[in-house]
Amino acid sequence: MRKTRRLAAAAAILSLATLAAACGGASTKVGAGGPAVSGKPLRGGVVTVAEVGASPNFIFPYAPSTNSDGYNVNLTMGLWPFLVYAGDGAKSIVNPQESLFSSLTYSHHDSVITMVLKPWKWSDGVPITSRDFTFVYNLLKVNYANWIDYTQGLFPTDVTKVVTPNAHTVVIDLNRSYNPTFYTDDVLSEIALIPQHAWDKTSLTGKVGNYDETKAGAKAVYAFLQKQGGLMGTFDTNPLWKVVDGPWKLQTFNSNGYYAWVPNKSYSGPDKPILSKAIWTPFTTDTAEMNTLRSNTSISLGNLPLNDVHQVGALEAEGYTVSDLPTAGVAEIVPNLYNPTNGPMLRQLYIRQVLEYLIDRPQLVSKVYAGYADPGNGPVPVLYGQQWDSPQEKAGGPYPYSPAKAIALLKAHGWKVAPNGVSTCQHAGTSAGDCGAGVSAGEPLEFQLLYTSGITSFDQQNAAIQSTEAAAGVKIVLKPEPFNTIVATTAYCNAKTHPVSTCSWQLQDYGYNPYTLDPSGAGQFNTGGYGNYGGYSNAEENKLIDATEYGSSSSAFFAYENYTAEQLPYLWLPNASNLFVFKKNLAGITPWNPFSGTLNPEVWYYTKPGS
Amino acid sequence: MTWYLVRRVGQAVAVVIGVMILTFILLHLEPGSTAKAVLGLKATPARVAIFDDTYGLNKPLYAQFLLYMKQLFQGNLGISYQLQQPVATLIAQRLPRDALLIGLSTLLALIVGLPTGIYQAVHHNQPVDDLTAGTWFTLYSAPDFLEAFLLIALLCVQLHIFQPNFPGGITSVGGVLADWRALVLPVFVLSINSVAGFSQYVRSTAIQALASDYIRVARAKGLPARLVLTRHVLRNSLLPVITLLGLSLPGIVAGAVIAESVFNFPGMGLLIWQSALNHDFPVMLGATLIIGIATVTGNLLADIAYGIMDPRIRHG
Repeated sequence: MRKTRRLAAAAAILSLATLAAACGGASTKVGAGGPAVSGKPLRGGVVTVAEVGASPNFIFPYAPSTNSDGYNVNLTMGLWPFLVYAGDGAKSIVNPQESLFSSLTYSHHDSVITMVLKPWKWSDGVPITSRDFTFVYNLLKVNYANWIDYTQGLFPTDVTKVVTPNAHTVVIDLNRSYNPTFYTDDVLSEIALIPQHAWDKTSLTGKVGNYDETKAGAKAVYAFLQKQGGLMGTFDTNPLWKVVDGPWKLQTFNSNGYYAWVPNKSYSGPDKPILSKAIWTPFTTDTAEMNTLRSNTSISLGNLPLNDVHQVGALEAEGYTVSDLPTAGVAEIVPNLYNPTNGPMLRQLYIRQVLEYLIDRPQLVSKVYAGYADPGNGPVPVLYGQQWDSPQEKAGGPYPYSPAKAIALLKAHGWKVAPNGVSTCQHAGTSAGDCGAGVSAGEPLEFQLLYTSGITSFDQQNAAIQSTEAAAGVKIVLKPEPFNTIVATTAYCNAKTHPVSTCSWQLQDYGYNPYTLDPSGAGQFNTGGYGNYGGYSNAEENKLIDATEYGSSSSAFFAYENYTAEQLPYLWLPNASNLFVFKKNLAGITPWNPFSGTLNPEVWYYTKPGS
Repeated sequence: MTWYLVRRVGQAVAVVIGVMILTFILLHLEPGSTAKAVLGLKATPARVAIFDDTYGLNKPLYAQFLLYMKQLFQGNLGISYQLQQPVATLIAQRLPRDALLIGLSTLLALIVGLPTGIYQAVHHNQPVDDLTAGTWFTLYSAPDFLEAFLLIALLCVQLHIFQPNFPGGITSVGGVLADWRALVLPVFVLSINSVAGFSQYVRSTAIQALASDYIRVARAKGLPARLVLTRHVLRNSLLPVITLLGLSLPGIVAGAVIAESVFNFPGMGLLIWQSALNHDFPVMLGATLIIGIATVTGNLLADIAYGIMDPRIRHG
């Protein structure tokens, strides 16, 4: 779960919500996963998908480190799908039919992977071979620092050798043992094969060679492909990008983010597109998109902002169906354990427990998100299902809303509780009944909550939290700021860095962290992890995370999950789903796949009237 | 006149350079890491280092400014951090469409506002004057986004007469004109506020003009009322409008963020706003440069037009 595959949260955050109407207060879900549309498929037809603030700007599947656009995968995945296809409908499993491998075997204590590729072909008729994998590996081996999705210590720097015994077999030697599920779901699911026979060159007019086999050559090819990959004016005309192995080919691309896919008639996979074209049309704001939906003019499928959930009835009258796509990720308030003022308080587990006990998550789901949200019981969303959700999380998590328990905890630790006022530490010290290390007598239980401005549901959520926290005398001061300002002015804070000014934040809610197929805590909650910017560091946590990443015990995941839920490196919050509206005669959309990282129009189709 | 023009152009260049320096400094005084703002919370130190190196953000401020000015004199406005495209391209894509949208709305406002102002002046202090002024002030007071929503609800959602948005596939001015039905509402909404301004300025000056001696002389000489109004009153009443038009030039360049948001018309307004949110300095600087040039050009043109419209005003 290391990669920001599709920044839906960021889109919501960055979208212009200025004119959004307030949530109508509905508490009943309109659809759960979306109603299935039955009917005979109608071959052909054009689908137009509205995208708000989600325009891609790079087409080469390996974008540079300086690229910040989380939506490029929306453009590229239909053209060059990942080696491992994440999600099978709504199930959190690898989709064996859509994946490029026919078998994936781990051996030598899970440190050697033998992968056999399916006998599929590129769109120009050339077979996909193991040479295409070595092409990717050779390029990334010397250019990984300039690959946006590189994670420290993982592919390709954890690979010691790649050999190709035949045209369809790849043997990858890793520098250590990995949990096969982790490596398949989280690492190989990030790698797209690219056509060596067409792209191994250093200029558009140059001949294809084996340049990638030398360090200098690999650097030159990678630089060339990255340069071409950023030329938005030529995305739809550059001969490089005409060679694909996905179900779609790019027909049109405008630099404003409008693009159209047409079926790749040579696609070897099982789900050959039924539609004749898929158009992705950009919208400046949710408001503009909603106006168009209400006018029933041109959109086949679009996103419905939660703030507009009260418009469901009107949209259904216009011929649309509403359905929710759960978000694969975790929403949270991050406590800064090294804030100079109240970091010592936040380092006390009981304080974090108090804070969590006072968040009425079921009420937030019901009132703020109109039922369209994961309950946020812990580090793993319930959408991940049986395989990943521990009984503890399914039962509501370790800290269900309970002001009484919060008050009892505070009193047990030497606090004078002042409901609807500000509780204060009475017994400073480190003994059992004291406030804890670093907390002085008379210190108020007060925190500033920095959160992303401009989103009505965020305002409502944090106002509700402010209100429920007050029940035990926890004073929350709300400070909304633009997302980018929060990102730019707050830093990773830990025992070493906390004196810097950018560690002055106390609690932070910027949105959610997206997950990939294996929702492990690697990189998230371990010491120094990229998502661990509140400085949480716990040897037991590290051990449990390592067990999910490197071990093979089937019980390791639940152990990690339960421990993390209890330790509260984050304060868990409900995570809003994405609501979509689509034409009633458009089928194949549900069940949604929350794990593939993009929409999958290759399985969509219109139904015959009356069928 | 020539010396006057040379002096004004020189002043304009100095103003634009001053604005650039000020903007550059202010942007770089903004707290926080630009690389982090652009790359997001998951910006690792390695990625931040590559970003800073790529865009020269690890150099001293003066070195960054000199580099920027060097690029500028080579006609290079830089690359957008966020959109990863040349700033000149981004502006070139949006500016003509904004010029069309806001230009048409200004034209419509003039076509309606000038005769309305003259009509009100002729009938000043009569019920029709009060009614007209009241109507325009009411529309002027209403937020443009509210007017936009009401018109969309009526004409697009209920009656399906117009489309509420610009189709995403349209990128050129020709495309915008070809899809003229999508242009009607934004032009109309943008013109509403301007009509009130133009008509009331013209009304005030026209009332003064109508009471002046030369108008009495013209009437006494038997000049028909229509000619009195068009030859004398209108011409003199246009002077404040010239100022307004000169001041509206930077507005054309800066776009109309509300109309662009509501009508899905990606123009300069949204580009500037989003670049401000995203710490996208090259775009901010490029936009500031263009707006600065438009501001001094608008003022210069207004001054020259004053001289042409009113021979009493002499430059030199």
